Amino acid sequence: MRKRTLIRVFSACALAAAVLCASGQGLDPASILNPTKDSWPTYNGDYSGKRFSTLTQINRKNVGMLTMAWGFQTDSSSNIGLKSTPLLVDGTLYFTEPDDVWAIDARSGRQKWHYRYHENEGLHIGQRGVGMYKGRLYFETPDAHLLCLDARSGEVQWDVVLADVKLGYWATMAPLIIRNHVIVGVSGDFNDLHGFLDSYDPETGKLQWRWSALPKPGEPGSETWPSKGDAMEHGGGMTWITGTYDPDLNLLYWGTGNPNPVLNGETRPGDNLFTCTIVALNPDTGKLVWYFQPSPHDVHDWDAVQTPVLYDGDFHGTPRKMLMQASRNGYFFVLDRTNGKPLLSAPYEQINWSSGIDSHGRPVGKREKYPSPAGTLVEPDALGATNWMSPSFNPDTGLLYVDAHRSFSLYYDLSNGKPEGFAGRDLSVWSRSSLKAIDYQTGKTRWAHDLGLGGNWAGVLSTAGGLVFTGDIHGNMLGLDAENGKTLWHAYGGGPVQSGPITYEVDGRQYILVGSNKVLYAWALPDAMLDRKQ
Amino acid sequence: MLRIVLLVLLSVPLMRQVLCAQDPDDVRQAQADAAVSAGKAQFRKTCAFCHGPDARGASGPDLIRSPLVNHDVNGNLIGQVIRNGRPEKGMPAFSLSETQIRQIADFLHSEAKIAATVARRVPTEYPLEKLLVGNAEAGKKYFNGAGGCSECHSPERDLAHIASKYKPIDLQSRIAFPPGAVPTVVVTEPSGQKFTGDQVYADEFLISLRDRDGWIHSWKRSSVKVDIHDPLAVHEELLTRYTDKDIHDLFAYLETLK
Repeated sequence: MRKRTLIRVFSACALAAAVLCASGQGLDPASILNPTKDSWPTYNGDYSGKRFSTLTQINRKNVGMLTMAWGFQTDSSSNIGLKSTPLLVDGTLYFTEPDDVWAIDARSGRQKWHYRYHENEGLHIGQRGVGMYKGRLYFETPDAHLLCLDARSGEVQWDVVLADVKLGYWATMAPLIIRNHVIVGVSGDFNDLHGFLDSYDPETGKLQWRWSALPKPGEPGSETWPSKGDAMEHGGGMTWITGTYDPDLNLLYWGTGNPNPVLNGETRPGDNLFTCTIVALNPDTGKLVWYFQPSPHDVHDWDAVQTPVLYDGDFHGTPRKMLMQASRNGYFFVLDRTNGKPLLSAPYEQINWSSGIDSHGRPVGKREKYPSPAGTLVEPDALGATNWMSPSFNPDTGLLYVDAHRSFSLYYDLSNGKPEGFAGRDLSVWSRSSLKAIDYQTGKTRWAHDLGLGGNWAGVLSTAGGLVFTGDIHGNMLGLDAENGKTLWHAYGGGPVQSGPITYEVDGRQYILVGSNKVLYAWALPDAMLDRKQ
Repeated sequence: MLRIVLLVLLSVPLMRQVLCAQDPDDVRQAQADAAVSAGKAQFRKTCAFCHGPDARGASGPDLIRSPLVNHDVNGNLIGQVIRNGRPEKGMPAFSLSETQIRQIADFLHSEAKIAATVARRVPTEYPLEKLLVGNAEAGKKYFNGAGGCSECHSPERDLAHIASKYKPIDLQSRIAFPPGAVPTVVVTEPSGQKFTGDQVYADEFLISLRDRDGWIHSWKRSSVKVDIHDPLAVHEELLTRYTDKDIHDLFAYLETLK
């Protein structure tokens, strides 16, 4: 058995490290503060989580002219498909599936290299992408390892065990790089595990700090758990979606997952901090600065991991540093991100489980909507009013664009004796998806674009060209008018859109990248239309 | 002689499983089940006092979520702890045979698997008595009154013997929302020609239907007039009106239609 801190260093590591540092190639972490238009250097494109691009070459007047620039077929043997957001640095795109990393040319879609991880017993459910630091990439594997790859070749530099796959952990998220911190979270829902967030040294893979999503007895937050027994130790709180960062406040924002046992909370009376919580941490120490809990004592599997989107602007006449989240439980939150105080808590999707909000801006659950042995009809289903699909915020329109699901499920409490693991399940009976444009000042939906019957899984991108890009349930890639949601462009790629679209400009040409099952498509205006100086 | 008789008697359940099983996998499973049962008995005798009868912990730690147990293969790690004890933590050594240790290991692995997988899905053979919490009379009243069910459904026609057609858990889901009914589509071309059939595909750009002869036609949606009749639209609306009591009462009522 390996210890968590044990690092397997490959023979070429020391030499490669020296070469990488000397060459200065790759991604200087300082450049993430101001991403250039020919890059997409983090999972969300920058630290703010807006997924908003200032590029305007493609705009609402000409988007109908988009043509395919290239398509990259992964030829992957897995059935997962592309769920990752590509990174773009120095003309190379990096993206993933659970056991695969590809590096391809951003101009042509031609492959530079492909890395394939060995067979493993981890849960293969999805992979969201890589993080980059100088000449290295960071990749989380299904069996909860963190790999450092040479970005030139895909060769493994080091391999660290994040969590024990034998206990039921797995990993999917795209690491976030802040200065010399590689920040990584973990997943695992079935086995009453312990959620945490780690920071690793990008050069050596040494653990710098670990923030535990569950307090120890006597620590702040422990009062929200029973004082006897081991409920708190096994209480969940996974950290499986990439967070955001405010460099001025030097605060890292992260959402945590549901408590365990999942659908029965009898053995864990209390709010169950810090599960289903948005936390602000110091990225240098991992110390908690503030928290806000979207779902106190969750019993519906509604993680609060959705991207905490950062925006500085007016809120009801006062300039504010805000954090907003369209949460899986159906509530939209705007927080003052300097201190975590709620400015707005309002449902953005129809829900039946909550009677309103308390004096701290937190939703109040209805006891009669807890899962039961006879079945309880709850709106939304366990997949939630939204899920891991990336939202996008456009500062020009003041709208947060969210892939929202209206859904109903019969929730069954399946506990037999002491609840453990999932402790129950829901049978989804109906769902319908729409792209909702939420006014951050009111939480009200300005417009909704129907995406079809069922749960949709497409991420969202918005641009200064007045456009929103996403996909619908039928597999159509869509370009919508950011003001009113009208469809201005569409194309069917032959498979489901399950990843976050990105955009960039190289050689004076703007590209829109959308994944469709196992194909990554690049769209651009026809060369003949573009007046470019090469 | 007595010993032989006992041995035979004790082996009967196992033998029956082995003899009836055709598939080698079933044989192995039966043997494994026997080992797990033996391991459970041994565990309760030797270990449950500290670790709890279900191995989820008592004064001693939860073994189901223990890294050592989850990394153990056929007792290789568990055996060391049993044989040597953990004197620093107050656990004595036990002198058990290889077989006994292996059986305890099998039991612990089996429990860990149960803990991780028991609730991964709602069982299709869900116990009827757990679902029967409503009032059939109230359900009948709702069916013929507030629910408006009788406007489309009848216990004598489409719902006759409905409780025999579906498993209880499926029947309740279908009360909440019945899947599968295909919308009917009428497409009118600019010339006035009409096409009627079952919807095959519909998005915001395209409409497609199967006509009576089985041919699938499709049109650009903006070029034709499209009328879609969705028989489930009423059920979508019902979802927002249903209380849990309505669903459980309706279920109790429909369960009487055997």
